[in-house]
Amino acid sequence: MKKQSLFARDSIYMLIAAIVIFSLRWTLPLLGGYSELATRMLIFSILVLGFDILVGLTGYLSFGHAAFWGIGAYICGYILLHFTQNILVAMILGVLIVSIIAFLLGIITLRRHGIYFAILTLAFAEMFYYLALAPLQKWTGGDNGLTGIKTPQLFGLELSGLAMYIFVGIWTLIALYTARRIKNSPYGLMLRAIKSNEERLTFTGINVFRYKVMAFLISGIFAGLAGTLFAAYETYVPTESLHWTLSGEIVIMSVIGGFGTLIGPMMGAAIVLYLENVLSAITDQWNLILGVIFMSFVIFLPGGVMSLSKQLRRLFSRDQVPANRTESQGGD
Amino acid sequence: MSQPYFKCSDMHAYYGESYILRGVGFKLEQNELLALLGRNGAGKTTTLRSIARAQHPNLRQGEVWLNGEAIHKLPAHKAAQRGISLVPEERKIIPGLTVEENLILAQIAPPRGWPIDRIYELFPRLQERKHQIGTTLSGGEQQMLAVARALARDVALLLLDEPYEGLAPLIVKDIERVLITLKEEGMTIVLVEQNAIGALKIADRCVILEMGEVVFDGDPKDVLDSEELRREYLAL
Repeated sequence: MKKQSLFARDSIYMLIAAIVIFSLRWTLPLLGGYSELATRMLIFSILVLGFDILVGLTGYLSFGHAAFWGIGAYICGYILLHFTQNILVAMILGVLIVSIIAFLLGIITLRRHGIYFAILTLAFAEMFYYLALAPLQKWTGGDNGLTGIKTPQLFGLELSGLAMYIFVGIWTLIALYTARRIKNSPYGLMLRAIKSNEERLTFTGINVFRYKVMAFLISGIFAGLAGTLFAAYETYVPTESLHWTLSGEIVIMSVIGGFGTLIGPMMGAAIVLYLENVLSAITDQWNLILGVIFMSFVIFLPGGVMSLSKQLRRLFSRDQVPANRTESQGGD
Repeated sequence: MSQPYFKCSDMHAYYGESYILRGVGFKLEQNELLALLGRNGAGKTTTLRSIARAQHPNLRQGEVWLNGEAIHKLPAHKAAQRGISLVPEERKIIPGLTVEENLILAQIAPPRGWPIDRIYELFPRLQERKHQIGTTLSGGEQQMLAVARALARDVALLLLDEPYEGLAPLIVKDIERVLITLKEEGMTIVLVEQNAIGALKIADRCVILEMGEVVFDGDPKDVLDSEELRREYLAL
């Protein structure tokens, strides 16, 4: 009975997610955005979903996720450019290589905690950035990025415009479903426990390191997948894909949405991209305004958009309490 | 001559450059309850953490053997898999999880210990509160949950660090009852406690530490009967 109701709740959740995902292309223009922005939003939402599995669940803040996104994008773009237009082949190879790199980086970096872990991941990402910029420029296009990527195909169908949007939408749904399953599984429970008390778990006989590496790997795979979709969608990979500023942007998106909630960071990605789009049309100083918005979230709504209803409820009940207290004092 | 069930010998442990344990060692037979006592800063917690192979302190020298197996060569999670279970002083209940989820979490990976139903028989209060978030329990209940979580794993040696701390005398009696039951069930226990008299009353043996060294290893009755011993090493 309980299992059935959980299944029903899951189905409704995914149905609502599907409606939102597949209607975004038509609802965005009504809000002042452009329809192609929807595809970008979905790609970034896959990236932040993976980031949330690592940071939201385990509490390990990575500043190197641009590396996984960028490597996925470069591999996918390079294959589309030089070998085949089959998007699945390019994506599989891109994700495979990213997962190997994520696994190795996880083993190296997860031996450190907190700021040391963040700095290590940042250092590795910067290393990949400079590798792409100069020593590997023959393959990456150096400062110009990887240009001239052919439009990808899926079983002979050219993926651009609406077709690409639907393709990315399906991947977004798969990513959300997978992330949700992970979060609600015993493995997700373990990751949440790592965040709150790593040593206690060690004393329980659990190899915490192995779980952390797995979370890092899964997170990297999500970022790699998003990167491959980005290259296929843009048919261009800028060098900035590997730059640390992208890692920072992922953090901003997650904070605005609310860490550990999955849907929150996805909303955060949509909000940041939407604001970038709308604000950059109004002023050149849009980055400044975005910074102020980010600061406001950190100060006034640290739980992100997802905590908004809880905060409002608390505010509302705080207004109620003194009234009740006055009544009871009066009664006394 | 047969090997003792548990043995730690010549343990020298450091926190950074601070030299804490200076050759601590003792033996335990199966089914024995040892009270490990001493003043503040004597090295009791450090001894437990060294046995459990915690990352800190750094055990630079010394050996730990359980059931003929060298524990001192293992990392903490492997020591725990061999049956060494440390219940730290701060209890460390995992926030955001219910009582039952805390127990389930301990049983996700083998070796599993007592079934959850059996744990609830020993701690009926936890069964009543199984859907409550663990960190919202009272201090005594949290202590019970911390011990219960240890039992959910296959425990061979239970290390308890100040389980009575901050608890009302009535709750302390409850915990004492649990420890006696566990001992009757065949568990080997090391109990570190500031409430020395309480610990001595239920212990089979007693080890007293002073400045990181063992200064007494013997019958708890001797300590209870000797005012001089109590005054000199336990400030009682």
